Amino acid sequence: MSLIDALPSPALRRRSWHPNSVLLCLSGVMLASAWLFSLVSVAPNRIVTGTSFGIVDAIGWPGAALISMLFMAIAALATVPSQGHYRAILGIIMLTLLLMPFGLMVAGHWLVDASMPQARLGIGAAYWTVLFVLLLCLVELRLRLGLSRWWPTLILSAIGAVWWGCAALWLGNLALVQEFQARDTQFYQAVKQHIALVSIAVGVSVVLGLLLAMLMRRYQRLQKVAFALLNFLQTIPSLALFGLLLAPLAWLGANVPMLAALGISGIGNAPALIALIAYSLLPMVRNTYIALEEVSVETLQAAKAMGMRTGQRFWQVRFPLALPVLLEGVRITAVQAVGLTAVAALIGAGGLGTFIFQGLGQAAMDMVLLGALPILILALMVDAGLGALADALRPGGQE
Amino acid sequence: MTPNANVGSVTNVPNTQWLLPFGWALLLLISIMGMPLLESVFRWVEPDARQVIYSRAAFYELLGRHVLVVGVAAVVTITAGVLAGIAVTRERGRDFLPLVGQLASLGQTFPPVAVLALAVPVLGFGTLPIIVALMLYGLLPIVRNTLAGINDVDATIKEAAQAMGMTPWQVLRHVELPLAAPVILAGVRTSVTINIATAALGATVGASNLGDPIIAGIVNGNMAYVLQGALLIALLALSVDSAFNVYQQRLRRRLSAF
Repeated sequence: MSLIDALPSPALRRRSWHPNSVLLCLSGVMLASAWLFSLVSVAPNRIVTGTSFGIVDAIGWPGAALISMLFMAIAALATVPSQGHYRAILGIIMLTLLLMPFGLMVAGHWLVDASMPQARLGIGAAYWTVLFVLLLCLVELRLRLGLSRWWPTLILSAIGAVWWGCAALWLGNLALVQEFQARDTQFYQAVKQHIALVSIAVGVSVVLGLLLAMLMRRYQRLQKVAFALLNFLQTIPSLALFGLLLAPLAWLGANVPMLAALGISGIGNAPALIALIAYSLLPMVRNTYIALEEVSVETLQAAKAMGMRTGQRFWQVRFPLALPVLLEGVRITAVQAVGLTAVAALIGAGGLGTFIFQGLGQAAMDMVLLGALPILILALMVDAGLGALADALRPGGQE
Repeated sequence: MTPNANVGSVTNVPNTQWLLPFGWALLLLISIMGMPLLESVFRWVEPDARQVIYSRAAFYELLGRHVLVVGVAAVVTITAGVLAGIAVTRERGRDFLPLVGQLASLGQTFPPVAVLALAVPVLGFGTLPIIVALMLYGLLPIVRNTLAGINDVDATIKEAAQAMGMTPWQVLRHVELPLAAPVILAGVRTSVTINIATAALGATVGASNLGDPIIAGIVNGNMAYVLQGALLIALLALSVDSAFNVYQQRLRRRLSAF
């Protein structure tokens, strides 16, 4: 092929035995963190920081041995990789994920004094690290086994359902569960509000973004101005944009009765939505514009030669071909909006951010977790869902 | 590479390109020094407030802490991101390529507020949590661009370098990295610019920076404070971004000169 193949190159070094070093490393990390970091902590009430317990104190020698054996089995299977072994590792990971809440139950049973109703079990660093690394293993396995994006989502939702059941039935002394039980109606309300804010903001910015991108394609001069403006908008911190909208909207709400009737006031949903839409426009417009521009000229010419009218060419050729890239823009925008909506809680828009900022104010870290974890899960779910949708719509099937 | 190092390293080059970033930086300095003089303007915004100029800390102090936080996060992110990008494009590290790519994009999926909130129980209130959140959030553009930049280097050029007898280290140092530099720099620019705005969130967990006036303004309903914080952050972002822009153009021109 080329000169380099004729040279005695270092490519000769290639070994016939080729372990999966990624999974080996990850299982090593899990083993180390499980033994070195604290697995759980126990606190007498919600404000005091708890005392930490290692793996042996928390789940006893049998539990520690079981967990270590599972991790070592992953490492052993990864040294001789094959499709069958990868499937076995997938099974072990699912088993570990399913066992994790039971470990907490055991720890809660042993360590939490049943006579103190305020006492609570906190989840320690080892637990979070192992959880995170297990998810990384899933990512690696998905790539190795060539699974579509739906599989990990399905597996994780099934495991999530089991965790939810365990938490509701037996994990009453877990700090997170206690926080949740203290304000469950508020929590559902916040989740609903969060999702509503995100979907309205993303929906509006999709429509606006499409319109703006189409206008920009027609009037080239608009393109420069609009991109400069949108870029500038992004340099203003989200926090400031939320704050800056308070005053003008409060004035409008106070002085224009019609707008006040629509629910526009300084605090609450109106400034939050405006700021969210303003922030969402840049990624949306950029991706829509690129998506529409990238459609190959030959395809469009072929469509023209077939006698398609301008409108037909746009809606039947250009738009469907641009859809996957456009959806990529929707994905980026939606994930960003999930995070920004959390900030919107500062100006009274509600949503899950409320728990974060209330918790930070009261130095109650479990309450912060109650807000932050669902936001994280929501962001990951939106990311996975829209990513899978974009994959499915790509012409010629999946990547 | 802190944003300031960029501006400082070329002061002796007489070049009109640098006027724009210098202009923004000068405007930033003027607004920091002259903020008290603008009292009448802010008084017009907030006629009823007792005080219209944020005074709990001096603006230059807030700016310094802001730059420090973004700078530390940037140094760590750039080192880690570029090293990871280099490592997984070597033959031995190729196994890790898909995972590192996925990990970096996962980092940007995590909302900074959530990361900030999760970091507080571990690291306590203050500056550390915001640095961690910025590091995670800024990693993706750098890793993604390093991977793209190194992978896009023409394979025939690398072969030619190898055939000349260059060691793998020399190929990396003298061929791959210089050719990938503009793309990597573009990633660094995106990462740093985003983080300048995101760092303001640190004020919610007790890290004092330019986000402080904004939070104080929202809490007290004082628009003048919010405006001051927003103005300074926007000016900082614009000066750093335009400095990167000039540097990027120079790098491109130097490469295309060959």
